[in-house]
Amino acid sequence: MWGQPPRLSSERSEHFATSQAGGAGLKACVKEAEKNPRALATEATCLHPQAPRRPPPSNGIVIRDMSWQMPKLIPRSAPMILLVLTLAAATGFAAVSHLVTRYTANQQARGRKLYALGLENAKALHYDDAIAAFRAALTCDPTNSQYQLSLARALRDSNDPRRLDESESYLIALWQRTPQDAAVNLALARVAAHRGSIEDATRYYHNAMYGVWSGDLDANRNKARIELIQFLLKQGARAQADSELIALAAALPPDPASHLQAAHLFQQALDYPGALAQYEEALHLDPGNSTALAGAGETAYLSGNYSSAQRYLRSAVSANPADAESRQLLASTDLVLRANPFHSHVSDAERNRRITAAFSQAEDRLTACAQQVGIDLTKVDLANTAPASALPGLQARWQLAKPDLDLLRSPAETDLPDAIMDVVFQIEQQTAATCGQPQGLDLALLLISQKREAASQ
Amino acid sequence: MSNPAPLVGPSAPSSTPVAPVKTSRRLFSTLEGVLHEEVFFLILSVFIGIFSGLAVVCFRLTIDWMHLALLGPLPQTHSWRLFAVPSLAGLVVAALVMRVFPGIRGSGVNQTKSALYIFNGFIPFRTAVGKFICAGIAIGSGQSLGPEDPSLQIGASIASALGRQLEISREKLRLMAPVGAAAGLAAAFNAPISAVLFVIEEVIGRWSAGILGSVVLSAVASVVVVRSFLGSEPLFRIPVTTFKRPTELIAYAVLGIAGGLASVAFAKSIGYFRPLLKALPRWTQYFQPAIAGLLVGLIGFLGFPQVMGAGYDSMDQAMHGQYAWKVLALLAVLKILATTVSFVSGTPGGMFAPTLFIGAMLGGAVGDIERFYFPHLTGSTGTYVLVGMGVLFAGFLRVPMTSVFMVLEVSGNYEIIVPVIVANTFSYLISRGFQSIPIFDLLTRQDGLILPSLEEEREETILRVEDAMLPVPATILSAQDYVDANFRRVQNSADSTFLVRMHPSGWNTASREQLQRLYREGKGELTLASVLSSQSLPSLYPDLPLDSALRYVNDYPLIPVVNRADSHHLEGIVSRDSVFQKYGSRRTIEVSHPDAL
Repeated sequence: MWGQPPRLSSERSEHFATSQAGGAGLKACVKEAEKNPRALATEATCLHPQAPRRPPPSNGIVIRDMSWQMPKLIPRSAPMILLVLTLAAATGFAAVSHLVTRYTANQQARGRKLYALGLENAKALHYDDAIAAFRAALTCDPTNSQYQLSLARALRDSNDPRRLDESESYLIALWQRTPQDAAVNLALARVAAHRGSIEDATRYYHNAMYGVWSGDLDANRNKARIELIQFLLKQGARAQADSELIALAAALPPDPASHLQAAHLFQQALDYPGALAQYEEALHLDPGNSTALAGAGETAYLSGNYSSAQRYLRSAVSANPADAESRQLLASTDLVLRANPFHSHVSDAERNRRITAAFSQAEDRLTACAQQVGIDLTKVDLANTAPASALPGLQARWQLAKPDLDLLRSPAETDLPDAIMDVVFQIEQQTAATCGQPQGLDLALLLISQKREAASQ
Repeated sequence: MSNPAPLVGPSAPSSTPVAPVKTSRRLFSTLEGVLHEEVFFLILSVFIGIFSGLAVVCFRLTIDWMHLALLGPLPQTHSWRLFAVPSLAGLVVAALVMRVFPGIRGSGVNQTKSALYIFNGFIPFRTAVGKFICAGIAIGSGQSLGPEDPSLQIGASIASALGRQLEISREKLRLMAPVGAAAGLAAAFNAPISAVLFVIEEVIGRWSAGILGSVVLSAVASVVVVRSFLGSEPLFRIPVTTFKRPTELIAYAVLGIAGGLASVAFAKSIGYFRPLLKALPRWTQYFQPAIAGLLVGLIGFLGFPQVMGAGYDSMDQAMHGQYAWKVLALLAVLKILATTVSFVSGTPGGMFAPTLFIGAMLGGAVGDIERFYFPHLTGSTGTYVLVGMGVLFAGFLRVPMTSVFMVLEVSGNYEIIVPVIVANTFSYLISRGFQSIPIFDLLTRQDGLILPSLEEEREETILRVEDAMLPVPATILSAQDYVDANFRRVQNSADSTFLVRMHPSGWNTASREQLQRLYREGKGELTLASVLSSQSLPSLYPDLPLDSALRYVNDYPLIPVVNRADSHHLEGIVSRDSVFQKYGSRRTIEVSHPDAL
């Protein structure tokens, strides 16, 4: 197939014969061109010595003929030509296929080494080196999805906002190839989460949940859902987080740890009954679980269910005496239960005693708070001044309600306990707003007021 | 010797006895009957595409393998390899070019074009082998050149060799080179439409419907082959590209202006240095590629290895905003420098990839700067990088249509077509304003060749019949009138020849002398139709090229120019004098002498 010299019929045949020899011939050709300005023999023509030329008719250059001697490898019959060409193409395909296969195998081996290096670097949080290694691995095996995914993850995790685009681009390319791949969708969801895009993140997280996983399907789905819930809570999208939590609770495996994790999420979403249910589920599976006991106690306490809170917190403290937080909550819970005059199992005498104690405590709290903010309650003239603080007004109300304490024993005054405690609750709420969160009995009274308020709503 | 008879066609022996023959033989003879040369050429185009595709697959593997073997898989800045490898590889390449493959210096596009217009489609197969080896070593070692141009020439060489083997007609053999070129370029770019357009715009240099089918078939076949081996992964991972507000077109126009200026700088530097280096003593050509390799390698060694090789990976990273605008701008400048030294040193390799690289970096830099000052711009870095690629393509290679379709084909996104067109137009116009001769034409003229170019053809003023048309004459004779009446009508006219309206249609002419003679001969009572020749005059339309009038002006004194909608309506006339006068008044287009460049 190498172009053999054409059969020359002109006086230039000698020249072309010399030009076949290589550089010397070329030089001679160029020199000849320089001598003979009418000729077309520029460097370009000299570089194609075998080629027949078509000079302009006026310049006197001999037009060489098109015929040249080449080995006739192909027959003259059209169908035979097609047959030969087809065979040649098939042979070429086979040869190139073999070559590509071998080359690809070598490259893949090299790519695996580089990929392993990249993984090591990524594990050591050396993301720049990891990215370089993953890129090199990809040049060896450009279509390898695992390499692309790892590179995308490394780009995303490198904390360089400029790299997020490239990471996303790799992932979108992977996603277009395998939209059902859960790992790719999860990675895309994380990129969207990095960008703070709730819509994209939710879509990709959902794709991941319902996509194809290589490992434990349920565990991976729950993991993805938990990640989504955490992202939604972080973004303040509570309504969406709630719905995901409901779905999560329905799909949890019988495993205390999973229920505990779900309970924490419910708690973060301020869904205390939901959280309590998850803690109870965990306790059902592992009754002695101190974390579950403490969590259940805390959520019961936060939801105003002080009887349950007391029960769980007592168990938690006994299961883990070092749990100071539960101990403190238990103390508050005990106080609430002891101070609550509206408790169903309290006798009238005890109720009156609690009301009296609360009333007295409210006064102390009011006086202390007024002193804290620099108001002398004894010198305030309510009739002539418009005090900036509500404390003097509360003092006046307290003074007005004080005579009612003596009427508590009268069976005809059924509304008195509520009226007196209403003054107490107002004082506790107002002082909490003015002077900060109270301690001890004041805190208990405040909690009781909040519970009453929630119940009335 | 005579031109070899067409190998296949109706004249090919096909008179095999039809009677009791085997089915295969019948099929065989039927095929021979069906496969006339046109059909055969189309089928051959598919095979050219397949063979070119296979060759380009091997070529790409060679470049990748050379790169890995010579520079290693992991990019290492400040490594001695970066400048040692391209320098040593440059020595090897120079020796091969000077001693074994003298025909592979320069641009493959021009060599293919020369084959089409000068060498009757002849490209030595040695060229394909030489380009394959030398460009593989050069690009693999990090010279700042691209694989597309060599791929184009490898495809053209294969096609030419195949055509010669098959002894197809001279006319078809000439067309083989562009068909192979399209296949090679399509395989290299993985973009068949751009390859077809480029071959039409730059290699063939004119729109020719006759070859379009073959070019498309070969391009598609080669792309299919490449994709079957190397996968259908695009050259770049295209990021999200956006174009929302029409006012943002101003930003893209600015990019077009910057790209046009960069194109001019790039083209001027190549056009200036190439003849200088060629004029140096011959022995220096053994060292020029090595020195170029050393310079390119030093750029890599000093912290910019992105400029080495084709640079597709770096373009990909630029597209995804991996570089700050200062780095992008610096890379664009360094790539112009590196590609200039690599190309003018005679190292085999192409300028497509470097052009894309420079455009990508410039686009990214301009886009980042614009978005810094105008944060409301919505176009991503990737969008500017893509548009920048097209901008340099339009400005430097001066292939406006290819530049638009290349961006669309590479990105697969039609949303950015308007920014691409706007930016490319600015770039193209600026490039044309400062650099009258396109880079490929400049290179051919530096080599002493003058080849046709589509840009020249586009800008050529075509004279039309209407340009030489004279007004409708005051005296038009009627063939149905008597000779004496017509004779009386011409008495007061100064003209010597008159147009005669024939009935029911057609035109003829009659001279004053002719009418006078007929009148004297006593034929005044006869109608003019009865005495004139029954053959009508040819008529022309105003929009026809004036060349079409040349066929008639020597045979007829007047030629009517009629309306296309109503052939009875006379628009004017042309005469020999009016036609020649028009050609004479046209300013001669002087072809620039190569020395003037």
